[in-house]
Amino acid sequence: MTALLPVLGSPAKISPDYVRISYASAVALAMKSGRFSREFDFGGINLLLNYDEGCLSDCGYCGLARTRQADYGDQFIRVEWPLVRTGELVDRMAEHEDKLTRLCISMVTHGHAYADTCDITKRIAARVKTPLSILVAPPTLNRHRLETFKAIGVDMIGIGLDAVTEQLFRSIRTDVPAGGLKWEKYWEVVTDSREIFGPWKVNVHTLVGLGETDQDLIEIFTRLRDQQIFSYLFCFNPEPDSRMASHPKSPLMRWRRIQLAKHLIETEGYQAGQFDFDADGSLVHLRASRSAVDAVVSQGVAFMTNGCPGEQGEPGCTRPYGSYRPSEPFRDYPFPPAATDLDQIKAQLRLDEVLG
Amino acid sequence: MTDDALREVSGFAIALDRAYAPATHMWVRPTGDLHVTIGMDPLGVETSGTLAQLSLPEPGQVLIAGQPFGQLEAVKFVGPLTSPVSGTVRAVNAAAAADPGLVEREPFTAGWLIKAILSDPADLGKLLTDPQAITDWYAARIADYRLSGAIAR
Ligand code: SF4
Repeated sequence: MTALLPVLGSPAKISPDYVRISYASAVALAMKSGRFSREFDFGGINLLLNYDEGCLSDCGYCGLARTRQADYGDQFIRVEWPLVRTGELVDRMAEHEDKLTRLCISMVTHGHAYADTCDITKRIAARVKTPLSILVAPPTLNRHRLETFKAIGVDMIGIGLDAVTEQLFRSIRTDVPAGGLKWEKYWEVVTDSREIFGPWKVNVHTLVGLGETDQDLIEIFTRLRDQQIFSYLFCFNPEPDSRMASHPKSPLMRWRRIQLAKHLIETEGYQAGQFDFDADGSLVHLRASRSAVDAVVSQGVAFMTNGCPGEQGEPGCTRPYGSYRPSEPFRDYPFPPAATDLDQIKAQLRLDEVLG
Repeated sequence: MTDDALREVSGFAIALDRAYAPATHMWVRPTGDLHVTIGMDPLGVETSGTLAQLSLPEPGQVLIAGQPFGQLEAVKFVGPLTSPVSGTVRAVNAAAAADPGLVEREPFTAGWLIKAILSDPADLGKLLTDPQAITDWYAARIADYRLSGAIAR
């Protein structure tokens, strides 16, 4: 009788030996063909841990969520995130180091994520000096693990809070089919990271358009600014097959005003009391001089992508077309807006309605 | 298209049985009586990145040489589809509009974009038709794109 031997499948292409990288990163490293609609220097490389199970969290807006309907294949946050060998990626980073501005490893909630992030960080740090951030998965971390990140060369920590109020966080990230993420745990990691990494070395990702009010956002911007923690704005962009696939994006006017408010608070020292809201928490008035606000708008920086900086403070992680399609109006600009862009921005802001 | 018409230049296919508008990466294949089929060459497709959406015109739309007749959107790029000739659209490739990957897989055959009737046959004379000129242009463009990093290695 012939014994049937089990047929072994090919080894899984998972982290730490494989990672996903953003399409823009793949183009920058010549691992994918392509161009950007507008030419600009790009050197922010974003990596994402990859596991067969995806992420074990279940956030309502996310393309990696555990109970999302479709198999996510190569599509995360709508566009392709190519899967590459970590070794080859690090070789490419070393080869292109002179044009790299910021590197980032995005963890996912998975039992191996911490060990694999350390492994990949060490492989990168041994070959490339470009500053490296980790966008952490708080459920996988504790204070000791954050200290280890610092010890092995991580420069900045990002925390993807996304939902900016406890109630919203619970409804989208905790009380969902396979959720369970804890608001308190996220803030514990924010506090620990701030203590370990120092001022302006920690950022909190805030997602605009999940159902929060303008007031909620402005309160969190001032709270974080007062702790010398960056708020980085992200624009909610409905992810096909996620539970929030039919939830609308923020209107451009609101998005622009939030960008401006965040910049005024973080960079120009504005206080929460300078913003007035209606009963629904929508921004209705800004207590500031028109000329001062116009000067800030004209610089354009407020409307550029928020992200960890390059070594000299230049834009580092710029995620081109990260929350909008190339055929849609820019949400955040991965380069300084040009004069024609600023004209559009000014029209979108409709500042007359909130100033004066 | 016969296999004889197909050449490879620095890793990219080019069909020598048709005319090319170098600035726009569009090809034009005469099919008789002022009728032409128009598509995009593989180099133009590859350097746009993974295609996401094609916006194509309706039959009957007037084409003006050098003017957009549609739009190509890739993952990080959006750009016009520029008409290499003047005339009128007779048919649109609905299969390509529904699945832009068809243009990536079969740019010279099933991935055509539109069929048109020329208003001025002299337009064809302004395009590249000489096989040597086509391959020289193609090789130079490939070298440019490699230098700028638009082609993966
Ligand atoms: S801003 Fe960019 S580099 Fe910084 S933590 Fe977020 S994704 Fe990473």
